[in-house]
Amino acid sequence: MTVADPAGHSSRRSMRFSEALAGYGFVAVPMVLFLLLNVFAFFYAIYISVWKWNLIRGPVSFLGLQNYADVLSDPTFQKAVENSIYYTVIWVPLTMAVGLLLAVVVNQKIRGQTFFRAAFYFPAIASSAAITMLWIFMAAPDGLFNAVREGLGLAPLFSLFGFGPNQNWLGDYHTALDSIILLNVWTTSGTFMLLYLASLQSISHEVYEAAAVDGAGPWQAFWHITFPLLRPGHYYVATVAVIGALQVFDQAILAGGPNGDPNNALMFIVLYLYKTAFTDFNFSKAAAVGLVLFVIVFAATLLQRRVFGGEPAW
Amino acid sequence: MRRFIAVLVAAFIVASCTGSSPSPSSSAPSGAAGSSSPSGGGGGGWDPTSISGPAVLSGWQSSPAEGNALTQTLLGFQSTYPNIKVDYEPLAGDYPTVMATKFASGDVPDLFYVDASYAGTWIDQGYLAPLDDYIQKSGFDTSQFFPGYASIFKGADGKWYGFPKDGNTIAMAYNTDIVKDPPKTMDDLITLAQSLKGTNGLKAPLCLNPGLDRGLAFLFAQGGSLLSDDGKTETIDSDASKTAVQWYMDLFKNGLGMTASDMGDGWCGDSLGKKNAAIIFEGGWLDPSMVSTYPDVKYAWNVMPTGSSGSPVTISYTVSYSIGAQSKNKDEAFVLLSYLTGKEGMTKWTEGGVALPSRSDVPTPQGKDVLVSESSYAKPGSGFMPGYNDVQKAFQDAFTAQIQNKTFDAGPVVSATATAVTKALSQ
Amino acid sequence: MVSQARRLGGAGTLAAPSAPPGRRRGRWLRALAYAILIAYAVVMFVPFAWSVITSFKTLPDSVRLSFIPQPFTLEGWHEAVQTLTPPLPLIFLNSFAIAGAVTLTNVVLGSLAGYAFARLRFPGRELLFLIVLGTLMMPDQLRVIPVYLILKTFGLTAGFGQYVGVVVVAAIAGTSIFFLRQYFLSIPRDLEEAARMDGAGFFTTFWRVMLPLATPAIAAVAILQFQGSWNSFFWPVILLQDNAKKTIPVALYTFRTLSSGFSTNWPPLMAVIVAATIPILILYIFFQRYFVEGLAASGVKG
Repeated sequence: MTVADPAGHSSRRSMRFSEALAGYGFVAVPMVLFLLLNVFAFFYAIYISVWKWNLIRGPVSFLGLQNYADVLSDPTFQKAVENSIYYTVIWVPLTMAVGLLLAVVVNQKIRGQTFFRAAFYFPAIASSAAITMLWIFMAAPDGLFNAVREGLGLAPLFSLFGFGPNQNWLGDYHTALDSIILLNVWTTSGTFMLLYLASLQSISHEVYEAAAVDGAGPWQAFWHITFPLLRPGHYYVATVAVIGALQVFDQAILAGGPNGDPNNALMFIVLYLYKTAFTDFNFSKAAAVGLVLFVIVFAATLLQRRVFGGEPAW
Repeated sequence: MRRFIAVLVAAFIVASCTGSSPSPSSSAPSGAAGSSSPSGGGGGGWDPTSISGPAVLSGWQSSPAEGNALTQTLLGFQSTYPNIKVDYEPLAGDYPTVMATKFASGDVPDLFYVDASYAGTWIDQGYLAPLDDYIQKSGFDTSQFFPGYASIFKGADGKWYGFPKDGNTIAMAYNTDIVKDPPKTMDDLITLAQSLKGTNGLKAPLCLNPGLDRGLAFLFAQGGSLLSDDGKTETIDSDASKTAVQWYMDLFKNGLGMTASDMGDGWCGDSLGKKNAAIIFEGGWLDPSMVSTYPDVKYAWNVMPTGSSGSPVTISYTVSYSIGAQSKNKDEAFVLLSYLTGKEGMTKWTEGGVALPSRSDVPTPQGKDVLVSESSYAKPGSGFMPGYNDVQKAFQDAFTAQIQNKTFDAGPVVSATATAVTKALSQ
Repeated sequence: MVSQARRLGGAGTLAAPSAPPGRRRGRWLRALAYAILIAYAVVMFVPFAWSVITSFKTLPDSVRLSFIPQPFTLEGWHEAVQTLTPPLPLIFLNSFAIAGAVTLTNVVLGSLAGYAFARLRFPGRELLFLIVLGTLMMPDQLRVIPVYLILKTFGLTAGFGQYVGVVVVAAIAGTSIFFLRQYFLSIPRDLEEAARMDGAGFFTTFWRVMLPLATPAIAAVAILQFQGSWNSFFWPVILLQDNAKKTIPVALYTFRTLSSGFSTNWPPLMAVIVAATIPILILYIFFQRYFVEGLAASGVKG
């Protein structure tokens, strides 16, 4: 699409020039901040990662890739990667599915639509620190969770899976990670619902009407029309979700402390980075962790481009 | 796709030209304040009353009671040394994280808390100022500190890098309504716990910690150990230690003990307060918390029961006041330090009931007789070896796995811990 | 603003594509839909109700499954208010001021940059945009020390500078630019071109024509950023070192770590949580339309 150019050749050039000038002007402040606080900080972190680093004196001795070797061979780090991947693989699709389900349901002509949308989104706006503490309270052995389970007579069902009446959901390393996943499904599904609603609402009515004429039921209509048409929505939500999932931190440190207790169940990559930097005071190794994480996030993002194909967003 | 990557790589190459060249030099300003030799000097005279100026004091604040006690102590200091203006700035949030940013930027308080668990690292990395010149000039008497506390704040070079501001020993606190006759030995403890099991609405008779935090005291009591006497090799993977760990684990196995978390509590103090457990093993910090949160629960202290090792033993925790290598007002800070860790200041501070004196010449605060009586024989509970955090983590992770898998085998715990100790010692 | 969002969605597409074919099945589906909605709303609602109820309980009562506190007590609230430093109003003021500033900078800087990346042609645009995306992949923990040193150089780690520092770090998020760029891309070019034909400059075109069209997206960015800043934990803990400058999450964390372990003295803890949630709840009730419609109407347009 070319801009119609009423004037001649030279004015087109000056147009170009002033357009570029405007462009630089518009992006100047954010780019300065990014170059300073992200790009510079990033390369500074790379620089730190190849040294033995002292906070006062800076580089003490050159280690080359030693920090990276240390990180990659540390079983705790491997556990952190495993947990982060598990978290991502479970949490992202689950939250997307719940978000999509809610979006589809809320999108129907129903009473109280506004109320439901508002209610579902609310956990996302409350402070994550507050919500995590609330979750800790509810998941405690004598907390609401177990009490309700008992009250509903579900105890026999749970005992099939080996859970006693006083199961310590966040304290037992078998269930801690899943409990945190559930917490974040709860808090984030509302956000995903809203993102999906936007996509749903941009699907034209006629498509459905045509499908109805062809005798497709709502189930077929959803799977054969809605779901594929939502592809840009899936892509955006999944990208944002995966990047967020690989950087999960607040909930982990509030529930399990810097050691990822119990038994590394809540040890994630960012938590490992944090512990290395601020409990062990090893900043260069922490920087190496950050770069490994960056590579993982980057790879995951590329992978998603592959999966979703095309270039819908960028 | 290929183009996408190419552009991205180009982006970072370009960015690196702008980014990486200044980065080596940017560390320079933070190193400027590195030297730590005390100013003044020359004549060797030291008159603390002649020193005037500001001193910034920082630490974390773990309870309102602690804040009050410190305020009282600082009032005492101000009346003795009116020329030094103390600015108390407690740090919110995660203390080591905040201090790390302060070290990096050179904006360091003049006097601050250093927990035993990271004191060694901070000393090694040069974040703390050595105090020996000041000690010499001022004639400050360091001999009164209990050695178990003081040794932690000496560097590999034998110099002092902080004085223990106080200490705490781990002792047994028990609910006096339930326990009439506190056990003297570990065997008595087991007998008592067995008789209490399932009574009084207790979730378990004992609240126990699944790690070395408290477990180390039991390990020592039952004749086990972590390190050889010279501190050079691990001794946790020995029959004696393994037996001790197994003994501790059996407390969980037999339902005599439970973790605070499994009782739904944040720590064992909550378990005692909520009457989930009758006997817990904590330090002096329990007292203000019980008074403010669980005033109706009657409890008393007794020394750690004696185990198969035959002699009384327990562990202790401590925190120092240290001066930063980059602190700006070192003279003022040392005057404040010598007051706070001296007889007068520590007397005022420990009267607040939060902690025990780390000096033997300070009178025992009210209600702390039992805890203080352990001070002379308590062994350090942290900070006694490099990389101890990793050792604790290894032990606790393996121990937790054994409890939660209901396998209760000390073997894997011992070997995981031994590996961690060896690794920590080799670094 | 809302009606504008509807118009923008494209002819009538925002009207919900409901009314599935087949009347009888429709009724079934509707019942199912209501069941899901109500069940999920209960799941959303119960934890918050539980925290309110618990805040009025005594400690022994707090672990019982009872929905009426027995006895009803204000002690938890009393303790919460007494123990919190700084006092609650100041904590809220800090949180509001910081979140407000962060929201404003993100809206202003984000819409300018988003527009430029969507519509203006200038050398290096792609590369700069990739840097924007790259920032999304970087964990804050990686850059905390360098960023702190940079802020320190500019005097933003002490005194009032702490507020400025915390705002600067969050002043512009890569997501804000990304989001607004996507939205500007979806606006037809015709209007803009008409304005340009009339001789309007780039800024005037942006300001007069494009910005009003982007209000739903701007509302969404504002909401996301306000919410993000309100919840933000990591940077405020590091940068707001004066007690009087604490925000809600920092105060919450400090409150929980008071006493030697993690406290499980639930009633006051729940009181703090409720107190921290009420202002955002009020805000949400008043501006709920903008929160929800803004985000929903501007989200993903492929």
